[in-house]
Amino acid sequence: MSHNSALSHAEHHEHGGHWDYSVPPFLISFGILFLVLAFAFHFVYHSGLAAAISLGVGVPLIIAGIVGWVREAMGHGEGLSYGAMGWFILAEAMIFVSFFVSYWFMHLRAAAWPPAGTPDMPRLLPMVMTAVLVISSITIHHGEALLHKGNKAGFMNWLMVTILLGATFLGMSGYEWSHLIHEGFTPATNIYGTVFFSITGFHGSHVFVGLCIFLAALLPGFKGNISEGYVRTAGLYWHFVDIIWFFVVSQVYYW
Amino acid sequence: MNIKEWIFTTDHKRVGILYLIGSIAAFVVAGIMAGLMRAELSAIGPTVTANPTTYNVWLYAHGAIMILGFQIPALTGFFANYCIPLMIGAKDVAFPRVNALSVWLFYVGVILALLTFVIPDPPDVLWTGYPPYSTITTGNTAFYTFTVLTLGFASIIGGVNFLTTVVYMRAPGITWNKLNIFVWCILGAFVMQLIFVPVLGSAVTLISFDKYLGTHFFDPANGGDVLTYQNLFWFYSHPAVYVIFLPYIGVVFEIVATFAKNHVFNYKAAVYGGVGGIVLISGEVWIHHLYVSGMPDWLRIGQMVSTLMISVPVGLLVISLVGTLYKGAISFETPMLYALGVVFLFLIGGLTGIPLAVTALTLNLSETYYVVGHFHYVMAVAGTFAIFGGVYYWFPKMTGKMYSEFWGKTGFWVTFVGVNAVFWVMMDIGVKIGLPRRYYDYAQFPEALQSQQIMSMGAAVIAVGAAITILNWIIGAIQGPKAGNNPWGSQSFEWTTVSPPPHGNWPSPPSAAESWNPYAYGKR
Repeated sequence: MSHNSALSHAEHHEHGGHWDYSVPPFLISFGILFLVLAFAFHFVYHSGLAAAISLGVGVPLIIAGIVGWVREAMGHGEGLSYGAMGWFILAEAMIFVSFFVSYWFMHLRAAAWPPAGTPDMPRLLPMVMTAVLVISSITIHHGEALLHKGNKAGFMNWLMVTILLGATFLGMSGYEWSHLIHEGFTPATNIYGTVFFSITGFHGSHVFVGLCIFLAALLPGFKGNISEGYVRTAGLYWHFVDIIWFFVVSQVYYW
Repeated sequence: MNIKEWIFTTDHKRVGILYLIGSIAAFVVAGIMAGLMRAELSAIGPTVTANPTTYNVWLYAHGAIMILGFQIPALTGFFANYCIPLMIGAKDVAFPRVNALSVWLFYVGVILALLTFVIPDPPDVLWTGYPPYSTITTGNTAFYTFTVLTLGFASIIGGVNFLTTVVYMRAPGITWNKLNIFVWCILGAFVMQLIFVPVLGSAVTLISFDKYLGTHFFDPANGGDVLTYQNLFWFYSHPAVYVIFLPYIGVVFEIVATFAKNHVFNYKAAVYGGVGGIVLISGEVWIHHLYVSGMPDWLRIGQMVSTLMISVPVGLLVISLVGTLYKGAISFETPMLYALGVVFLFLIGGLTGIPLAVTALTLNLSETYYVVGHFHYVMAVAGTFAIFGGVYYWFPKMTGKMYSEFWGKTGFWVTFVGVNAVFWVMMDIGVKIGLPRRYYDYAQFPEALQSQQIMSMGAAVIAVGAAITILNWIIGAIQGPKAGNNPWGSQSFEWTTVSPPPHGNWPSPPSAAESWNPYAYGKR
């Protein structure tokens, strides 16, 4: 809505002309407010009902906001989003830097690592997860290349493969988590639990966001609406998430 | 007027005005908190409240809301939104919907901050949220965390938006070396926001992890370290001072150049040396906030040197400002009074910062009223004066109307007297008797009574001045006389469109002439 409109507005710039507006950002913001309230109700005030109600309000608001946003943006190719993503990734990277720096200080000062109470961590699974994520980076890159050549159907196939791989990664991560928690290893167990669950969880949330970004390309894509700029931007984000994983796996699992 | 075109607006000017309304509201609330604290301290013993925790909540709300809800949003939200697209000849920002998301996230953050006054367990962790207290208090640390996170996220997406806008959307002829200083300052501020805000976000997130999810990041008993938090927090929160400083000095540059009718002296030194230098050094001075927390001596000395080094780029900016006044055709309308007020207040604030950078002195001054007086001069008051001056300066552009000069100047002088009465006395009492800051009562320091009373009266004077100023804006916006498109005779690009500018800003995409320069006021 807010794009491609400067020319049409030029005609009535004197008085009472139409001003662009968009409801989805408003919905998302207040959806986030309700998510925060849900957190507070659950963790601070221990009221499950109030938390559930807040979630029930917040989640639909956010989903409605995102769907509305994608619909509005469709066909308006946000041509500058690739450049913007670079700045956003800078900010994202700094979050990981602070997590890792906190971790390094704790690790280097610890008398023994891993600290007492840590179970045997899986050695093979993280390797497989790494492979899955690396392959997903290659598949999306290949898909982009096909799209660039105009092969939309080919792109859609590779996009679906990528999403599948990303979901597999999350599934393995979830399996690992539930396995560890089942063994009694939680964020509260010791400093390694703190670090392990925080960093892998935070990275996993980025994989999840990446998948949502891909879904927002996939669903309209079935109707033939594909924006190359959007796909390139989404791919950039995905590669970033992939690169972060190398740090996660080398620092948290094998060091 | 169509109300949904305001609430759901994506236009940068309306988003900017929404930011302004929200941040002024935050200013009023946080100002009331300051008033309550000053009333409490006007006599020894309980005055307004008998509960010291209530006082701590005011202290939290005052600091957190003033910095995160007023100054940063007013400077990087309102001024950036309103002025940047106009200054670079763009029809809007790069991502108008992201802009709308940013302003409403800001409102969500302000709402979360205001919940402090509703919930039974308000946060009482100051704006710093230091563990271990923040992880064991009965106060609601979660709302502190989420206030910071929503405001921080709003700022990050705002930063992405504006950096993209300035890089890609400048009108033909508006080249890098012809950008307004203000635009450079906003660029610098947002680069810093992008690098440093995420670190603050992580720090406050980890606090809530520790408190509510049982992790051990800042728990020494289990291998964590409270100093990690202090490092992460100040890694952002020291540069935050420059995130506030750069835009406000940018606003002052625009005002001074316009009312001195003079080109900016030493433009390139100010931009590349001043703005660039601050961005470069900003990330390596935060450890001076931990002088007293403990560190090896070699680190203390290194930090002292780099902290003092910040004076060099800042000095370049001040020289440019004063040089712009030199041989200018100066006139003293309200915005100019505020701009010159900023230069004065900033000089006091800057010079009184030097003893705090010097390790031998700071160990004695730390945690006294002196520190509070210093940072109020350099950041709080100077920043607020720049915001007030900037609102006055762009008022005719925003509203198409003119405010009352008489009340504008009256408001300025009243506020100016008030702030000096408060903060000069504050530094004085901090040095003389080492009165510790943040205390609810000062029964052990009865000799501070008279100073406290002067400060409390000064606070009342500030309240009157601020009320005059805000009322002057509201009345001017409703019934001020027509101002014309360029009442100040400025050369800057935002004044080339009509006031108030329409949606899209110009009837057709503008371009700047070869001879155009935002400060082309002729040779002196």
